[in-house]
Amino acid sequence: MPGPVTAWGPSIPRWFTWLLRLLFLLVAFLISVVTFFFRRLPVSHRSLPPSSSIRERSLGQSRQEPFPAMAYLSMGEAHRRITDYLSRFCDAVSSQDAATLSALLAISSNFASLQAPADALNVFQDSNQLVNQVERYAQFAEILSPLLRCLQSYRLGRYSDAYVAFEKAANAFLQEFRNWETAWAMEAVYILALEIRLLAEKADRELSSSGKNTEKLQGAGSFLMKIFGALAGKGPKRVGALYVACQLFKVYFKLGTVHLCRSVIRSIETARLFDLDEFPVKDKVTYMYYTGRLEVYNENFTVADQKLTYALMHCSPNKEANKRMILKYLIPVKLSIGILPKQWLLEKYNLMEYNEVVKALKTGDLRLLRRALREHEDRFLRSGVYLVLEKLELQVYQRLMKKIYVLQKQKDPSKAHQLKIETAVKALNWLGMDMDMDEAECIMAILIFKNLTKGYISHKNKVVVLSKQDPFPKLNGKPVSS
Amino acid sequence: MDRETNRPKKLGFRPSKAPNPSPSSSSPVRLRPREETKRDSTSSIHERRNPVLDEDEETGSPIFSYLVGTCPDMCPAKERQQRERLRDLSVFERLHGDPSRTSSKLAVKKFCRTMSNAELQEVEIRPLPVLRSTLKYLMNLVDTSDQPFEVVHDFVFDRTRSIRQDLTRQNILDDEAICMYEEMVKFHIESHKKLAMCYTKTDLASLCYLNTEQLMKCLATLFKLFDIHRRSSSLYKNEAEFYSFYVLLHLGGKIPQMGSSLSLWYRKLTLSILQSNEMRFSMTLIRYSQLGNFKRFFTRLEAEASDLQLCLVEPFLSEIRARAISYVNHSGYKLQPYPLKHLSDVLRIKESELEELCHVCGLETTMDEAGMKTLPVKQTSFSLPKLGLPVHSLSTF
Repeated sequence: MPGPVTAWGPSIPRWFTWLLRLLFLLVAFLISVVTFFFRRLPVSHRSLPPSSSIRERSLGQSRQEPFPAMAYLSMGEAHRRITDYLSRFCDAVSSQDAATLSALLAISSNFASLQAPADALNVFQDSNQLVNQVERYAQFAEILSPLLRCLQSYRLGRYSDAYVAFEKAANAFLQEFRNWETAWAMEAVYILALEIRLLAEKADRELSSSGKNTEKLQGAGSFLMKIFGALAGKGPKRVGALYVACQLFKVYFKLGTVHLCRSVIRSIETARLFDLDEFPVKDKVTYMYYTGRLEVYNENFTVADQKLTYALMHCSPNKEANKRMILKYLIPVKLSIGILPKQWLLEKYNLMEYNEVVKALKTGDLRLLRRALREHEDRFLRSGVYLVLEKLELQVYQRLMKKIYVLQKQKDPSKAHQLKIETAVKALNWLGMDMDMDEAECIMAILIFKNLTKGYISHKNKVVVLSKQDPFPKLNGKPVSS
Repeated sequence: MDRETNRPKKLGFRPSKAPNPSPSSSSPVRLRPREETKRDSTSSIHERRNPVLDEDEETGSPIFSYLVGTCPDMCPAKERQQRERLRDLSVFERLHGDPSRTSSKLAVKKFCRTMSNAELQEVEIRPLPVLRSTLKYLMNLVDTSDQPFEVVHDFVFDRTRSIRQDLTRQNILDDEAICMYEEMVKFHIESHKKLAMCYTKTDLASLCYLNTEQLMKCLATLFKLFDIHRRSSSLYKNEAEFYSFYVLLHLGGKIPQMGSSLSLWYRKLTLSILQSNEMRFSMTLIRYSQLGNFKRFFTRLEAEASDLQLCLVEPFLSEIRARAISYVNHSGYKLQPYPLKHLSDVLRIKESELEELCHVCGLETTMDEAGMKTLPVKQTSFSLPKLGLPVHSLSTF
């Protein structure tokens, strides 16, 4: 009996070797079957980043093409993923887990973690039936079915459809939220408010690029008002109202219908439902930023100063971009009340467009102010501070007159308080401004009227007689009187 | 995929698309899908969200069905008969002066706010050619009628509003519509001046206010039309001037608020408009007025204002002049009364009119030794009268 088996050790019965061989073959067979079967599944069970071919095909391009890359996902796995999403949703609701719930609703802001079920939805087309069949999911069918549709559309880059589906889901969710007694799901409502705006913006971009009417953002505004209405009232849900108000502001500013902010502000500030102290600081900063901006547009500089300064002071130290946005509006306000920013501030926050304006105010150089306004006209008009900066002209005139006065005082202190209009005209002409006696007199009259100069004008003698004491009072934090 | 809303299929319903960016000048542009070629009056009802031209709609965009009118006259027959019965005929519509009879050549459709579109029939809406001829008729009436101006204004004001309503209902957005709106804006601006000239009548203040309100509504719609028709950076012939009208309205103190401040309005404009001569002119005028630089204000106004711009600004000049007087009064030298002649030169007003203005504002004027009229300064009795100021036009020298 030759054979390697018998070469070593005591003799092994023949049937045993055949058994071993049989077992070996069986195992080999099983392994090959398993690998063959599981080859069709992706390697990891976590969300797989789609291959580039899928991405290219799905991003808003041809809608009739099938998605062959999706074929890598088996029906079973797709089904598993969808049910996983659905059950996570229901678990989150029953255990009042707002964090998980929010993550499931964050379609555009957290899409990476939702890509897996989104992919699955494009394979497993019958998700509606799935939702309605299972009792646990069916109770939230009004939320879940459109939510799944939204995921699916978003994955395919159809943002307009995604928005419409999300609005349905959000409406249904809001209904549920209204019925819940406590505010445990507030974080989810925040996500809802954020998402409705982001999705609407994306949808409008898509619509405008294909030449259609952009109306989704307006719809988002209406829905946000609904959320606001659900939060306004007595009870713990109040705390979210400011966040939603800020989302509304963002929408209205983007749409250009800024006057609609008024009703929101009225509800927050004058309806006496809210005490501003009970809101989180983060929301208050955003709120003060937007309302401060509105005050700038309406030229209420004292109030604008208060609000924007609050926002700046309470802004989180590492949010440099936010600070810059606040400063962009705060600086013109401060300039209007006579407070000049330091050079390093402008440099640090990259707001050098104000540099020449500041210099003009310091030196009384009207030409410089006009030049600065011309150079950055577009930028200032877009941000809406142009008219505010234009008004600084009066302060520049004041500075110039003061300089003339100071020079005169040095030359001949006894006569310094008499400023010949001719001298002012000469100075302005020297600066390159074309001015005559009448105009100079006009300017002096207005300086006196607005209390930027103390004295009177003798028209006959063509001279301005300045007060002996403090003829050019500083603004000291108050805007020019109107 | 889902449709936007689950509307049942209506007769002739199709989703609408945005207008073609370069409309042909031959056929009127309507917001209608391009596939549609036939249009019969019974089935031409379309549903469309977000009406473009609705002047009274500020916020929401309700579903709005628009019709295509078929009324052949200036006033639909049904309304004509109804108004004859009720003797509700304006003096311009009466046949031979008879308050209960009119004709299709005289009656013009009235503005009626209450009708909802669902109840309207096409035969009550006037199509574009009829609207055009109606407007022409009305403008002709303004020029030729010998009735007092307030009566003419009242009639034309209401009837043009009805024309605009018909334009909105049919969502007519083409060049023709722009021409018509421009005409109406011109009418309102000229009325603005004419009404202001007779300031002594107390109810004219509200008439002026209403006129300005309609003017602003017309302008708002006109701007929307301009926006729709904008091609690259080229502007319509008079586009910049019409934008400048909106800016110049802010020279007046008591205009109806259009919702947002001027700063916010500028944000929405394109650079080509902002840099046009007319806009620069109007923005500069606002700057001079707010600064108080009256010398430059009046010289610039005199030098550069177009006729319509002047028409618009003249009613506001009194307030500006009154302010100038108050500054002079405040900053002058007690012992030296200010010569009115000089002030009237600067303010581009006749000396006698300036004297009248001073008196109306509660200030006395005197005469000096040389017989020249002067304004004693540091008077404390300055106040703007409640009933408004007399309007004096720009006197050129």
